[in-house]
Amino acid sequence: MTKEKPLGKDSIFYRFMAIVRYEILWHIRKKKVLGLLILVFSLATLSFVLPVVLGNIYNRPVNADPDHVINSGAFLGELGFFLLAIVTAMNSISGEFESGTIVPLLTKPISRTVVFLGKLFATFLILLLTYSFYFLYMAVGGSIVYGPQNNLQLMPLVLLGSLISTFVWVSIVLAIGSLSRSSLTAALGAFGVWLGLSLGIGIFSAVSGETWILHYVPGGGARGFMKTGEGAPNSGPIVQTGTGSIGDNLVKLFLNPAAEVNFFTAQTPLYTESLALILTRSLIVAGVYISIFLFVAWFALRRAQIAD
Amino acid sequence: MEFAIETNGLTKSFGAIKAVDNLNLCVSSNSIHGFLGPNGAGKSTTIKILVGLLRADSGRAKILGADVKGDDPRTRQKVGYLPELPKFPKHLTGQELLEIYGQMYGMSRSQLKTVVPKLLETVGLTGRGKSRIGSYSKGMQQRLGIAQALLSDPELLILDEPSIGLDPVGMVEVRDLIKSIASHGRTILLSSHMLYEVEQICTHVTIINHGVSLASGPIEEVTKHLSGKTSIEMEIVNMKDSIEEAIRRMPFVSSLTRRGRHLSIQLQTKDDVRTQISQLITSNGGIIVHMAQHGNDLESVFLQLVSRSEEQTK
Repeated sequence: MTKEKPLGKDSIFYRFMAIVRYEILWHIRKKKVLGLLILVFSLATLSFVLPVVLGNIYNRPVNADPDHVINSGAFLGELGFFLLAIVTAMNSISGEFESGTIVPLLTKPISRTVVFLGKLFATFLILLLTYSFYFLYMAVGGSIVYGPQNNLQLMPLVLLGSLISTFVWVSIVLAIGSLSRSSLTAALGAFGVWLGLSLGIGIFSAVSGETWILHYVPGGGARGFMKTGEGAPNSGPIVQTGTGSIGDNLVKLFLNPAAEVNFFTAQTPLYTESLALILTRSLIVAGVYISIFLFVAWFALRRAQIAD
Repeated sequence: MEFAIETNGLTKSFGAIKAVDNLNLCVSSNSIHGFLGPNGAGKSTTIKILVGLLRADSGRAKILGADVKGDDPRTRQKVGYLPELPKFPKHLTGQELLEIYGQMYGMSRSQLKTVVPKLLETVGLTGRGKSRIGSYSKGMQQRLGIAQALLSDPELLILDEPSIGLDPVGMVEVRDLIKSIASHGRTILLSSHMLYEVEQICTHVTIINHGVSLASGPIEEVTKHLSGKTSIEMEIVNMKDSIEEAIRRMPFVSSLTRRGRHLSIQLQTKDDVRTQISQLITSNGGIIVHMAQHGNDLESVFLQLVSRSEEQTK
């Protein structure tokens, strides 16, 4: 019927693309992704429409704000990144185990590493597409409601930062999913991590005054105030140091390359750091988390024995 | 002799349970090899080691001359595998699944354009290729499973219970398909609960229980060497005393019981002597309505070996 094709570099890429297609079709046809997209776009629409509606009701017209879009570029925030990561990654590997589709998949002449990379790349493409549409929608909607916008050319930085922020959670979800082989455990486990870090570490650092801990855990991070040279030291724009604020900080750094950030506990000044240092550190922290958790997920898949 | 599959001292345990125990399995090239055993005998575990889903604790396994060492795509390139009750992604259509799996085998798009419709036709899924797998019945999923196993025209085909979920017509079609594939010089390892199916299409057989091989070889040899006493049950119209006496005098007959036109003949041989007996009856004016030999068939041998193995385990 057919002739065998030799295994070469080209051939591996060709097979890799088969996994990408397999995974993307799954993402596109999965109702959960569609549901979340609808929710995200509904919220974005609401963020534009609500001020207009309320303005009409209370007779306060919406003022033009040329920085609205770039300042609310990371509108999705930490919860948004986390939810998108859950939806795109929770079934990616564990779902194959649960449904039994892992058996025919892993008995094809394609290595588990390629399967893993293909699934990861497909997740990346889906997130890239979602964020691209989302930010485009934000830019268009923001321009309509708040007038012409400044610095829209920096939106790709927000996009890049959002992808990195989301991938921290994607890697955590994939690792838990690969180890547990359960989508529910992946979602709940990641939610536990998110909640634990958001609440537990947050409360601990607030009580102990050791805010530096927040620089090194996934999430929003510690909160500081950018020095503006005007007003009180804690009255400038808020800067967060965590992996969830990379996009926002990229834009801020681009606009204020020499910016410094003051940190406080209660009203007491703690220390000052440059924005460049904060951003570099959050990128390294994100990189370390992504590398470690993706390695765990890959290793668990590679070593998995499928008896059922 | 060249073997398509060769295992040597293959052992696999799950906790305290030894699923495969020092198994030596040899599947000759270009044969249809039946792999028989009761539930939990270790058939599927052995197969999963062969296709790389499980790692053996000890021992060696070779497929088409290459050592099976965990995740090795090169070995799997020449192997088609139908898992027991296969599960496929419900969001894909049958055609998409075959195209994607074909791409994983390195088949070009032009090859797939020709091969996929042909395979769908072969397994009786013409017209359903564009339907989502989620809408397929169990039988249709089984047929799709067979199609994906045949995608790359593999040198070795491993089929784990291929007839499960199929209707009687489907079972016959699958048997004919297996025979046709084997006739093109392919090797087939067929794990099945259906002894009749194995007897019908296999040239060789291995019977295992508790992970241990109980018997292995060409089917005739296994049944001939291992069967116990055999008997023939007959129904004859125009039955006469002279026929009964003539049968009793045959050298391989040890005893005979007659109830009206029904005869039960106990034999001292494991050979198939139905031709000699039927010739004798017809030459004496009897008409054979029914004739069946028991004891040297695969089912008898299988039951005998398994019960012996169960007694030894106790």
